[in-house]
Amino acid sequence: MPIDRRAFIRNSGLATAALMAPAMLQAKATESSPTLTILHTNDVHSRLEPFPNDGSRNAGLGGVAARASMIAQIRKEASNVLLLDAGDMFQGTPYFNVYKGEPEIKAMSMMGYDAATMGNHDFDAGIDNFAQQLTHASFPILVCNYDFTGTPMEGKAHPYKIFQKGDIKVGVLGVGIELKGLVPENLSGKTSYQDPVIKANEVADELRKKHKCDMIICLSHLGDRYNDDRISDELLAKETYEIDLIIGAHTHRFFEEPRKYKNRKKSDVIVNQVGWAGIQLGRLDFVFNRSGKKDLAQSHTVVIGKKTSD
Amino acid sequence: MNSHLRFFLIVSLVAIQACTPPRLVPASLNYKNYPVTGNLEPDSSVLRMISFYSDSVNKKMDQVIGFAVNSLNKRQPEGVLGNFFTDAMMEMAARRFNRKVDVAVMNPGGIRSYISPGDITVGKIYQLMPFDNLLVLQEIKGSVLKAFLDHTASSGGWPVKGITMQIKNRKAVNIFIEGKPLDENAVYTMANSDYLANGGDYSEMLRPVPQLNLGYLFRDALIEYVQQLTKEGKPVSANLENRVSNAN
Repeated sequence: MPIDRRAFIRNSGLATAALMAPAMLQAKATESSPTLTILHTNDVHSRLEPFPNDGSRNAGLGGVAARASMIAQIRKEASNVLLLDAGDMFQGTPYFNVYKGEPEIKAMSMMGYDAATMGNHDFDAGIDNFAQQLTHASFPILVCNYDFTGTPMEGKAHPYKIFQKGDIKVGVLGVGIELKGLVPENLSGKTSYQDPVIKANEVADELRKKHKCDMIICLSHLGDRYNDDRISDELLAKETYEIDLIIGAHTHRFFEEPRKYKNRKKSDVIVNQVGWAGIQLGRLDFVFNRSGKKDLAQSHTVVIGKKTSD
Repeated sequence: MNSHLRFFLIVSLVAIQACTPPRLVPASLNYKNYPVTGNLEPDSSVLRMISFYSDSVNKKMDQVIGFAVNSLNKRQPEGVLGNFFTDAMMEMAARRFNRKVDVAVMNPGGIRSYISPGDITVGKIYQLMPFDNLLVLQEIKGSVLKAFLDHTASSGGWPVKGITMQIKNRKAVNIFIEGKPLDENAVYTMANSDYLANGGDYSEMLRPVPQLNLGYLFRDALIEYVQQLTKEGKPVSANLENRVSNAN
């Protein structure tokens, strides 16, 4: 990854200090309690450049070049880093209308994204276009509840991927939103939507029991929660057995702090979402304990610490 | 602690671990959602990659597709710019869906800029319609259309095409569809944005009405409409023709 680190360090003293704080916490952790750092985005919506400096609310915020510098800096300080995106990479600036997602995917590849899931707007230039743009991707698209059989995406998305980060084995899966009523059929083609709760539980079960993952992360484009009974991250969290963390999207919500729910086994499930447009980069540092217990049915809790200060 | 004892403890620990392979369990979490700000020195190689694309995106946005002789502005109950929008909706929907369209309605809040005399660029159309709304058709019953037009009347009058109406006591009265009084039992084909069709701008009554959707961007319809006017040698304009007026 060709990143100009020296220029970054020279010019960003304050920002560096802000980035250092969580790293110091991490340094205190002993080897018996390793840390996994998850960096995440959602609904970036083709926002390659920062919002223009026109005095509006988001003026100067976002932009892939600034995000790339931030990620590179964090990677230097934290050893076990996963960089994830929860979908809607496409649509929202003229870049997408002209280039159909090519620079978006290239930028994510340069930043070293480890995985992403698909949002409804990623179908906006057609499923064939999305499949085509993936030729520029150095990261996998994870989604377990879209059946792409007979579409240009067949064989190009995966239900999950396993990452070994130091001692920590991490399983990452993805779930997509109901397409009907949201994505015109001529764009999604023969893609068939399946129940995200059933599919996510199936995949997470395999990741835990067969692949012995220590941590299971679900990238979700379902949305954080709704006033009606539509499936959301909140409902998904409560209906799962093995998922530890849901990285959310779609509702463009800026979370003040990660939300915590009890799953079917009374274990904690964390949900986080960072608004949209790459205005924020989410960071979650999970500290692990070693548990001698073989009994996977045992429930566990996750203590959410204070927000890391600047 | 003497070195023998220490060695013994370490060996024991390793032995215990070997017997019962421990699983790592997430126990605590620190978090921070960083603002991505301009204070960070942007990554130069990413910047270089983007600039390759931004040059031609800007070129596309600067592309001149038409011209205006007069200013077009939003106005209620009826304005030239709104009429331009609904004229374009009706024409381009009929063309793209290949069928007769009876009426078109637009919410004034969806029109985000104005047109000044001079060149019309693609970028200007993006300013007028930055949203990725789609142009859809709805087969709407006369009684539901009446309720929708009452809603537009109660908020001061919205751009329409194929309709004339008056606003009285915040209700739509004297409604004519293509010259004939609105028939509450008839079914009309209405060009609409998917935003309103999905109940946006408090148009809840439209939500149950089925949509025909071809994934046709509203903005693309406007661009194609302007290009067509240019081909015919016409400026971007529309007429004020008492489509919507206040009853005396």
